[in-house]
Amino acid sequence: MTDTTDFDFEAEALSYMDQLYAAALRMTRNGADAEDLVQETFAKAFAAQDKFTPGTNLKAWLYRIQTNAFINTYRKKQREPKRSDAETVEDWQLAAAAEHTSSGLASAEDRALDAIGDDEVKRALSELSDDFRMAVYLSDVEGFAYKEIAQIMDTPVGTVMSRLHRGRKLLREKLRDYAAERGVYEKAPVKKKEDGGTCRVQA
Amino acid sequence: MSKPECEEALDRLFEYIDHELPEDEIHRIGEHLRECPPCEAEHRINEKIKRLVNRTGHDVAPDELRQRILTTIRATRPDAGA
Repeated sequence: MTDTTDFDFEAEALSYMDQLYAAALRMTRNGADAEDLVQETFAKAFAAQDKFTPGTNLKAWLYRIQTNAFINTYRKKQREPKRSDAETVEDWQLAAAAEHTSSGLASAEDRALDAIGDDEVKRALSELSDDFRMAVYLSDVEGFAYKEIAQIMDTPVGTVMSRLHRGRKLLREKLRDYAAERGVYEKAPVKKKEDGGTCRVQA
Repeated sequence: MSKPECEEALDRLFEYIDHELPEDEIHRIGEHLRECPPCEAEHRINEKIKRLVNRTGHDVAPDELRQRILTTIRATRPDAGA
């Protein structure tokens, strides 16, 4: 801590504990690991506080520490199979040759979303790959800018955009599936594409 | 229905929702969304999902965790021995 500012690192950092814990819960997908992750984050943050420049974004700095800790410790521990999500800019641009859904389907989907509960959203998020889930969470919950997410995840902005596009697309499909399971939304028939992906038949 | 304006709007929809676009593009896409119901429907659905995700981030750290962290920090504080 420097004497030239009134910056109270301890108080400022601790004020983000709830947010870091909520993010840790979504990252690790269980309470015990989430607590360990947050504790590790604070231990690392306090050990490295001399490297923090007062006046820069402390919240993003803490999230970066937590994200690194998650990747280095918990992802390994969970032995998650390596995903083969080829994430190139061309890829999402191609995927985003987006089409309108028919207006009937769109308004049915819109209405179905009103019946979606938090538990279903959490379940859908938990089914995304770590990188997609984190990008979506950092944007939608924390409101970080793409540039900040890129720093937190140590990846180019183009990759952040790709993860957001693909993560949100998958999330939307999952929410549509849940709504269909509950009978509140009738899905359009889905046909297989040659590349193994699926696309919705335009009504 | 898939005009070039639709293509641009749908292509930039997430950036639009995330406030990542420069003023002129926000203006152009916003104008298109007001005129094009199918694009506006996509916009509304994606914005709704963003709000749904936003609601999942409000867990509160357990007291026991808070205490554990405070104890660790205070023990390792540079002035702890003073």
